[in-house]
Amino acid sequence: MLKYLIKRFFWMIPLLFGISLISFFIMHLAPGDITTSEASFNPKASEESRQKLRELYSLDKPVIVQYGLWVKRMATLDFGTSFASHQRPVFWQTKDKDGNITLGMIQEALPITLLINVLSLILIIGVALPLGVISALKQNQLADRAITLFVFIGFAIPGFWLALMLMYWTGVQHAWLPISGLESMGHENMTWLSRTIDTLKHLVLPVFISGLTGLAGISLFVRNGMLEVLHQDYITTARSKGLKENRVIYGHALRNALLPLITIFGLSIPGLIGGSVIAESIFAIPGMGKLFYDAVLMRDFPVIMGILTIGAVLTLIGNLLADVAYAWADPRVRRGVMQ
Amino acid sequence: MKKVLHNPLALIGFIIIAGILLLALIAPLIAPYDPEAINVKAILLSPSTAHLMGTDGLGRDVFTRMLYGSRISLMVGFVAVGIATAIGIVLGAIAGFYRGWVDTAIMRIVDVMLSIPTFFLILAVIAFLTPSIWNIMIVIGLTSWMGVTRLVRAEFLSLRNREFVLAAQALGAKDTRLIFRHLLPNSLTPIIVSSILGIASAVLVESGLSFLGLGVQAPQASWGNILTDGKEYIQFAWWLSLFPGLAILITVLGYNLLGDGLRDAYNPRSSQH
Amino acid sequence: MSNKPYQYCLKKLALIAIISLLIPACSDSSSNQANNQIDYTKTYPASNGGTLIDAMTGEPSGLIAMIAGESAASAIAGNIFNSLLKYDKNLDLTGELAQSWEISNNQKTITFHLKPNLKWADNQALTTDDVLFTWQKVTDEKTRTPYGSDFKLVIKAETPDANTFRVTYAAPYAPALDTWAGLHILPKHLLKDQDINTTAFARHPVGSHYYKLDSWKNGQHLKLTRNVNATQGQAKINNLLSRIIPDKAAQFLELSADNIDSMGLNPIQYARIFPARPDLNKNIALYKELGNSYTYLGFNLKRKPFDDIRVRQAINYAINKQEIIDGVLLGLGEPVASPYKPGTRWSNPALKPYPYDPAKAKTLLKEAGYEDHDGDGIVDKDGKPLNFEILTNQNKEREMTGVLIQRRLKDVGIKANIRVLEWASFLGRFIKPKEFDVVVLGWSLSLDPDQYSIWHSSQQAAGQFNFISYNNPRVDKLLEAGRLELDPEKRMKIYHEFSKILLEDSPIVFLSAGYGLSAIHKRVRGISNPAPPAGIGHNTYEWNIPSAYARTEMSEH
Repeated sequence: MLKYLIKRFFWMIPLLFGISLISFFIMHLAPGDITTSEASFNPKASEESRQKLRELYSLDKPVIVQYGLWVKRMATLDFGTSFASHQRPVFWQTKDKDGNITLGMIQEALPITLLINVLSLILIIGVALPLGVISALKQNQLADRAITLFVFIGFAIPGFWLALMLMYWTGVQHAWLPISGLESMGHENMTWLSRTIDTLKHLVLPVFISGLTGLAGISLFVRNGMLEVLHQDYITTARSKGLKENRVIYGHALRNALLPLITIFGLSIPGLIGGSVIAESIFAIPGMGKLFYDAVLMRDFPVIMGILTIGAVLTLIGNLLADVAYAWADPRVRRGVMQ
Repeated sequence: MKKVLHNPLALIGFIIIAGILLLALIAPLIAPYDPEAINVKAILLSPSTAHLMGTDGLGRDVFTRMLYGSRISLMVGFVAVGIATAIGIVLGAIAGFYRGWVDTAIMRIVDVMLSIPTFFLILAVIAFLTPSIWNIMIVIGLTSWMGVTRLVRAEFLSLRNREFVLAAQALGAKDTRLIFRHLLPNSLTPIIVSSILGIASAVLVESGLSFLGLGVQAPQASWGNILTDGKEYIQFAWWLSLFPGLAILITVLGYNLLGDGLRDAYNPRSSQH
Repeated sequence: MSNKPYQYCLKKLALIAIISLLIPACSDSSSNQANNQIDYTKTYPASNGGTLIDAMTGEPSGLIAMIAGESAASAIAGNIFNSLLKYDKNLDLTGELAQSWEISNNQKTITFHLKPNLKWADNQALTTDDVLFTWQKVTDEKTRTPYGSDFKLVIKAETPDANTFRVTYAAPYAPALDTWAGLHILPKHLLKDQDINTTAFARHPVGSHYYKLDSWKNGQHLKLTRNVNATQGQAKINNLLSRIIPDKAAQFLELSADNIDSMGLNPIQYARIFPARPDLNKNIALYKELGNSYTYLGFNLKRKPFDDIRVRQAINYAINKQEIIDGVLLGLGEPVASPYKPGTRWSNPALKPYPYDPAKAKTLLKEAGYEDHDGDGIVDKDGKPLNFEILTNQNKEREMTGVLIQRRLKDVGIKANIRVLEWASFLGRFIKPKEFDVVVLGWSLSLDPDQYSIWHSSQQAAGQFNFISYNNPRVDKLLEAGRLELDPEKRMKIYHEFSKILLEDSPIVFLSAGYGLSAIHKRVRGISNPAPPAGIGHNTYEWNIPSAYARTEMSEH
């Protein structure tokens, strides 16, 4: 197992190298250079101050040197400070000489996005698993049809449209749920419990919207996986041995159908993070997606590069965890039978 | 094809898509108005016989814009998926056919691409390249070829050692002939299925980009930007967001149903009926 | 397997799904907010307390306005910091921190006298030391501010005593007072050892105005609370909460659900949606004020044929401005013929916009050599048809303006395509490198008449405001003279003359100035209606929320 882990860990190095290349390439996509595509009218900004920016980001050096510096920055997670947001550190907090701490932008945004994504994953597992299993067991019956239809609509509906309709329905017409943001007015004066409830209420719609596609996808996946497993020989064998149907389904079939799910979750991380742009913009949630979108609109290069890198690293970590979990769950992998 | 038509889901999907393609094709013939003609005296009219889907904030006929928008939205889907599929087939074929280090290299590139959140990548690239319909199609295409690559590679790997391939190779068939005459035709079904599903997701990505202001730019109509225009009036002028929203939903549904039906029909393992 | 029940069920489900989605969109009168029952027509004496909640689409980058620069920052910082001078409700300059000011006879020196006993929110004395310090910071080469150049014209700044601040210019500088009305005075005692570009003070500001920053949750809200040490008087509303809600549609939902008290409206919301919705009108009042900007069509004068005045004038005659005001602004705007607020001193009353006159436009085009020789409906010259691209940014009103212009130009045989772009691309790719034919854009209507940076021929470099490359020696001279002339009457003549040349020369086509439209909850009282020239925001400190109407708030522990 340890050997597998180490091997798996070293696999990440070429991937990180590739990510550094892609992000560096994107940085150089813009015609001219990054200082010419700033998103503000600033007639009084002198050429001199532009030059300062170029030096700060080594734009005056040869491309290969710039790349070297970029890799160094990536390795030390040093993405500098934001162009647009009063020089806030992009990644992690800094302390000035008076001891004032300025929080990093990603440092603040990441936990929010992670929270939403973790809740989405819980929702997906909690809802998609039973849906998929029911669908498979009641194959071609009413329940299966209904679930399948739900799944396909979940796939097909534009998220922001559904979000706005739900905001209107649950927020304006019925005042069941808050419409946007993370906290109600007076949040800071609430007790711990009501604060948590308040935040959770704010998260209901965003979590549902960001989890919807995944929910649809996973339940379909579970259904098909179950169906496939249920028709395998060993299930037939188990049945013929007289094992109880429940035991067959939950002990054997489900377990085997779920194995590939671990990998799917690993693979779905970039989609969830990427999907957070729309959900966070519409629900006014200051997470990674909103941060990235703002940075794109402001052409705030350090933030864009920082988030692309951190997002990719997170995905790699997610995949690593998924693979480890898979190896743990499936002895064949552990022993190196399958690669 | 017969198999597909016997699958009711796929059939529904097929009918939806055929219908929408037909509408897009004959849009200029049946559109009652000019899609860009604004009429300041007819702002936000609700649906009526004169304006089947009402008018928007500029007094343009929503039905007409929906018809023309279908062309843009479908074109984004087709071209983006065309690009992705072309790249995917080439890279997947090379990886699956030659194996060895080429395979390893290509699959590492795929891994790298898959580890960057795609929507972030699309947003960043479009922002730096200036949003335009061509840039959008190219960028969606360039960021969604990884699935096809894996698929083609897997198909090739499994077909590579089949008797008919080995036989052809023993007879001295060139690599290109092997690939194009023997391997590719036998991998076509999964490629088609994944392309159809890809179109569905490209249509959704375009609408998401429109919502963020980085999609197809006005005055050109796409379903995504009609829907985005309508979002501010969602409580008042429901027709502005309902029709484009439903159009996207139904189209994407259609592609998904067809794609999924096709997969079921040609995948013996999961077709139980 | 049989298909029939299957399909039936599918259809039914689809129907249910669609109907359930329709419900929120269709039923519009079933709002059940608790305060629908409250009668907002009662009168109450002005009282203290309450929280005013508004929404902004973007978050300020910091609250030192000279560094931050964006409108969100100025809006918030304006409640926290004072300037020496301010504009009153009739847009005349008056003292804010300054009690009075004098201009020397040679017009080069301005002496400000501070009001007595000024204080910072942390109870430290505010003196001319702070003013001098602020001037030093804004002119410091190391300070990353776009606003330094006005203040660099000051060759000597001195503080003869704690209440007197004197600045001397090399030459008389007419916009000087206006610039001092725009400079927030910063506290020296907190900033003297700090790098102003990166200081934590930008996020923990201490000012001297009605409010002070209470809390700032990144990406969520900024909360201001009353500054009890304020020396300009005490505001009536206790807290100002500015929520960051990037999506305008979400903002409108929040307004409808009574979660925010105010937001800016577009003409459709103002003129079409509100009148049709009694449930909204019951709780929300609408306000209209003179706009702060005008929309124009600007030519890239470096490109042919826009270097030909006849072509520019022809296009001006071909455009129907009233149609734009009626159609785009739904009548909620005014025509403009100069870059000044209609009705103010600087606006030349003798000037009228070019009338809509397609016949004249055709004549002018013909004089310039453009005629439809090949009969394709588009005028041409030397075999080249007259066609170009109208570029604008993502702004519904500008887009619509462009489309109306496109149609009118077609009538006189000019083919125009429209291209709409997201702001940053628009600016970075097209405006700065001057890669455009014609743009539809807006300029703000500044309070000081000086428009040197927009029209002077020296201001054409990439990133500067004269991106249309306007170059007229007569205008240059007037703009230079206008900066040197402090006498309002003489100054007025200079700018009236400047406006006249500008209109004749037609480097841009003045289109319209839309009103500022806003919706504010009826619980907020004390708002001037109709709005004075300075707009409804001139007396926010007098706005108040009667306690009977205040939201229920958690009490402070």
